[in-house]
Amino acid sequence: MILKIAWRNIWRNKIRSLVVIIAIALGLWAGTFASGFYEGMIGQKINDVIENEYSHFQFHHKKFRDELAIKEVIENGEEIREKLNSEEKVVGSSGRVIATAMIASANKSGGIKAVGVLPSDEAVVTQLNDKIVEGEYFEGIKRNPILISKKIADDYHLDVKNKLVLTLQDVDGEIISASFRVAGIYKSNNGMFDEMNVFVQRSDLQNIVNLQPSEFHEIAVLLTEHSLAEQYAKKYADLYPNLEVLPWLDLAVGMRYMVEASGTFAYIFVGIILVALLFSIVNTMLMAVMERTREIGMLKAVGLNRRKIFSMIMLETVFLSMIGAPLGLLIAYGFIERLGKVGFDLGSVGEAYSEMGFAAVIYPELGFETYLSITIMVFCMAFIAAIYPARKALKLNASEAIRKI
Amino acid sequence: MKNLVIETIAISKIYEGVVPVKAVDAVDLQIEDNEFTAIVGPSGSGKTTLLNMIGGLDRPTSGSVKVNGRDLTGLSENQLIDFRLNHIGFVFQSYNLIPVLNAKENTEFIMLLQNIEKKVRDERVEKLLNEVGLGDKMKSKPSQLSGGQQQRVAVARALASKPDFVLADEPTANLDSHSTSNLLDIMARLNEEEGTTFVFSTHDQRVIDRAKRVITLVDGKIESDIRK
Repeated sequence: MILKIAWRNIWRNKIRSLVVIIAIALGLWAGTFASGFYEGMIGQKINDVIENEYSHFQFHHKKFRDELAIKEVIENGEEIREKLNSEEKVVGSSGRVIATAMIASANKSGGIKAVGVLPSDEAVVTQLNDKIVEGEYFEGIKRNPILISKKIADDYHLDVKNKLVLTLQDVDGEIISASFRVAGIYKSNNGMFDEMNVFVQRSDLQNIVNLQPSEFHEIAVLLTEHSLAEQYAKKYADLYPNLEVLPWLDLAVGMRYMVEASGTFAYIFVGIILVALLFSIVNTMLMAVMERTREIGMLKAVGLNRRKIFSMIMLETVFLSMIGAPLGLLIAYGFIERLGKVGFDLGSVGEAYSEMGFAAVIYPELGFETYLSITIMVFCMAFIAAIYPARKALKLNASEAIRKI
Repeated sequence: MKNLVIETIAISKIYEGVVPVKAVDAVDLQIEDNEFTAIVGPSGSGKTTLLNMIGGLDRPTSGSVKVNGRDLTGLSENQLIDFRLNHIGFVFQSYNLIPVLNAKENTEFIMLLQNIEKKVRDERVEKLLNEVGLGDKMKSKPSQLSGGQQQRVAVARALASKPDFVLADEPTANLDSHSTSNLLDIMARLNEEEGTTFVFSTHDQRVIDRAKRVITLVDGKIESDIRK
């Protein structure tokens, strides 16, 4: 009967209840969708960081990342690659030669990072071949082909088959210039990455800077699963103590913090919305209790005990919340599922996101456990919101309440 | 010898404030089984306060209230709620039905709180609503009933728990004369035929005329106690 009364009570003032229900639904939709958006954005960022930039873990000479000196090489690069490629969980590895260089076109010059790769290995590890938007992946140019980003192409007014000059130091510190011809133009999701990186054939760069074919500056390794990265990095760090072997989380600045924070973001965001909704529900329930002072007094007079009065107010609050919450979660689920497939284009804002290293089209995603946790949070919020109005109802003096007009 | 249902022993009620008000002043009162008693008096004479103390809704400042020999003054709030549920029926001036429940559900409500089984509840609700002339209004919500009809549902609800007595605070105050007469007929019949004890507070001469005992309160004290 208490259940029936509580349910019917919330429909006594339909408009007021609907306003609260809609507020809860909208609040949760916004919070859940924003969480899905953020989780999708971080997920994509992780994939981009792994697939485009760092792979799952990398080998370097211990001083290379600090000094970027051309002479600090991994001497037994091919031997390490052979060992890696025999691992079941290793999808591929790419030995790279890296040199900071000046790029000069007919119009402009500036600093970049020239990355020498073996095209077939790089295609496996970073799918660089899939990012070509103009020209070919190291094809169509006989001597010194180079891949530049769309951003560099625009900045330096370069096109496919145009010539450019890279000036860099060799292992002996001599300044050398070499001309390259644009074979292809690539575009990744990360504007900052695109701004800095050009790709040449590893053998070309090794020849220019006087390195042996088995000498690399970097070996990037792609595994079958993200979760194996730290375990494999540690294993190879132990195997090659004279080299620096780090997982992507330690290579990409700020990523570890971002990944750790992403787990709590949904709860913080939804939590803030729920706190705001809590006050709205408390206000509504308080009004509902005050309007029914005489009725609650009568219920106490005829024998409804304190526990049942408390339960009645509690149930009314929980009903309001539990109608609004599934509605909001369902709408958010629909949005996240749909946009998870077609993507959420950030439009003009996307450029700014891209500059910060995020994709311009976000594919929201949210795990089932997050939906479940949000539902539990709503339930707790409803319980907390009910306490004050319910206590107010309990404090009513039956004889005074009945006389109240 | 009749059973003593209500006994007040020197009960007083003082409302504290800037100027303390003594609403009821050392009232001794005995009400027996099957009585049909009206407590009358001018506004502010202490009728409702006395009724509230008898019904366990208010605690006396001093003195004690006994219902069927049980002293209410020592009971906790929860014990009082339970006591009211099982021993006292209430009829209020403003009907005070539960607006979201229909006549049947309002009448049944007290029995549900008493955990009475459904078959017994259904039979009793039907009997009571027929007795108050609302057998055809079982599904009607309070908003679909007239004031008189609502007060008759309130009487049915008060009787549903088979209380020791029914307290009615100005039950006819909001009713027209036809509804008043109708309600008084029902309560008088229940008193005669079922032996239900009624205690009213009232200003209404029509209620006073029908009462078998009239207690007049003035300034919180019993001025007269007349049995007809």
